[in-house]
Amino acid sequence: MSQQLPAILFLLPLFAAISMPVICLKHRHWCYPISMAILAAMTLVSILNLHNVIHYGEVRYVFSGWAAPFGIEWVADGLASIILVLLSSLGLLGVVFTGPTSPKALGGRIVHYYTLILLLISALTGIVFARDLFNLFVFLEVAAIASYALVGVAGGRALFAAFRYLILGTLGASLYLLGVSFLYAVTGTLNMADLADKLPLLLSSKAVVVGLVFMFIGLGIKMAVVPFHVWMPDAYANAPDSISPILASLVTKVALLAWVRIIYWVLNVTIVINDIPILLLVAVLGALAAVIGASLALAQRDIKMMFAYGGISHIGIILIGIGQGNQTGFVGGVFYLLNDAVMQAALFFLAGVAFCHYGIRTIDDIGRVGKQAPWVIGSLIVMALGMIGLPPTGGFFGKWYIILGALEANNYVSVAAVLLSTLLTLAYFVKVFEAIFHQTSIQSDVQFGEIPLSFKLTLGVTSAAIIILGLFSSPIVQLLLNHTLPPGL
Amino acid sequence: MVDAFFAVFQRPNYLTFVVIFLWGFYIMVTRYNLVKKLIGMYLVQTSVIYFLVSISAKKGATVPVLLSTTEPVQAASYANPLPHVLTLTAIVVGVATTGVGLALCAAIYRKYGSLDEQKILERMEEIEALTNKKFLKD
Repeated sequence: MSQQLPAILFLLPLFAAISMPVICLKHRHWCYPISMAILAAMTLVSILNLHNVIHYGEVRYVFSGWAAPFGIEWVADGLASIILVLLSSLGLLGVVFTGPTSPKALGGRIVHYYTLILLLISALTGIVFARDLFNLFVFLEVAAIASYALVGVAGGRALFAAFRYLILGTLGASLYLLGVSFLYAVTGTLNMADLADKLPLLLSSKAVVVGLVFMFIGLGIKMAVVPFHVWMPDAYANAPDSISPILASLVTKVALLAWVRIIYWVLNVTIVINDIPILLLVAVLGALAAVIGASLALAQRDIKMMFAYGGISHIGIILIGIGQGNQTGFVGGVFYLLNDAVMQAALFFLAGVAFCHYGIRTIDDIGRVGKQAPWVIGSLIVMALGMIGLPPTGGFFGKWYIILGALEANNYVSVAAVLLSTLLTLAYFVKVFEAIFHQTSIQSDVQFGEIPLSFKLTLGVTSAAIIILGLFSSPIVQLLLNHTLPPGL
Repeated sequence: MVDAFFAVFQRPNYLTFVVIFLWGFYIMVTRYNLVKKLIGMYLVQTSVIYFLVSISAKKGATVPVLLSTTEPVQAASYANPLPHVLTLTAIVVGVATTGVGLALCAAIYRKYGSLDEQKILERMEEIEALTNKKFLKD
């Protein structure tokens, strides 16, 4: 039974997605509870899976009986299991939030909307588990197609943003596939473990290096690392309010996870550190992204735009941690990835509540309803602490380990980049709080009333999670150190 | 230099791949019409698929069905089936993406009455200015 858990985790949302249009044909209001139930079940199974992996070691799942180098292989190791708990629980929260905020104009097509959300989550599950480069490509594309459609649902500006996202995302996927075919032409295999055995002997081949560069550019577009980030703020800011938390917290992070797999699991740790200076590239691009993303965020007045650029800078910080090539940096990066996914979800929940309940789009408007929105202001303070990285929150400990790792690697540029991006983050949150607590701002006369329970739930749970990740940071980091490190690091 | 030139012409498939890829990329970057952009994107996808197929081509090889069960298997006499299978999947993915892209184009055309990127951006500004005016009046 425990051997089958990876497949069950993937099939739960997939089957629900496929059967949704049939089940909910007559009863449109069923799709909200059904999606919630499926994702709640998925969260439970993923926790069970994590428990199994920690106690009994990793699970290798072989499809239809073809052994590893020939068939497609999925591996549920520590890293995949932890990310999967995060993915399914954030997916659940995202769907809980979707109910009252889903676009009203959809009408009967709301069924397809839920289908796409479940399809997106099952594809992301596939990316997390896949240990086959081509399998990874297929799931990247399934996830991408679902997200293009979900971004476009809002209509108007979102259509154009979705089209840009589609053009750039497909270019990225094509480049990734090109890189995969280069590696396949040289080694004749697509399995990650098999490639890890064969690549050390083939490093003199230019095709390997060129293939890796193409794969990096392709995945870089998918994870919105700085020179390739142009699609991301537009797409996430214009997407429907109910979907941007799921997109912002999961899609880019899971693409980043795929890249981590390729650096540390396909290439050997000794190769990345000694032969191909790919970690240097990752750390430098991360530093650029951290600083540029945060300074662009500073220039925004639209809440969602600001948070989207903040997300770009945080992708940079994770890359800095991953790129140090030592245990502390790697664990710091993964821990920060967990925190950042929670924080991005929280921020976009907040932006969604602000727009759907209070009709606010820009930071100047927040001040006008400040007195009437205790939940929004309270959770915004917690999120700001997390984003800036102040002690009781997880953001602080993530940055702390990343800086320790950079110091261990004598990489002072990275340290400076993390600190500078922290200062810039502080600056744009000061801007937000200035708008809120500025005494002269005119209070709105409209009575907005209580926010619905699902809004309170999502804001409360994510804010609590930001604090809890900080309070329990040392056992979590210990868990990451014991179970998620790549072989040989 | 001359050697490099001849080496390129030894492998016309690589040359074709590069030409199609860059052609598609050029269309994507320079054209303002959204459908033309999609065509460029499709060319890029197709070029990668073409590359994947062409690296598996082999002279004098046949389909990978065993010719005889008694003799030992001669790998050299069979074409590698895996890239073709991968190609099939990649084509399906490409078709799905193009479908979503065309649907988005249709929705954009219905909303803004044009497929030209610059005209669409102009209309967007106009509509936004109108809604802001209404907002101020209210």
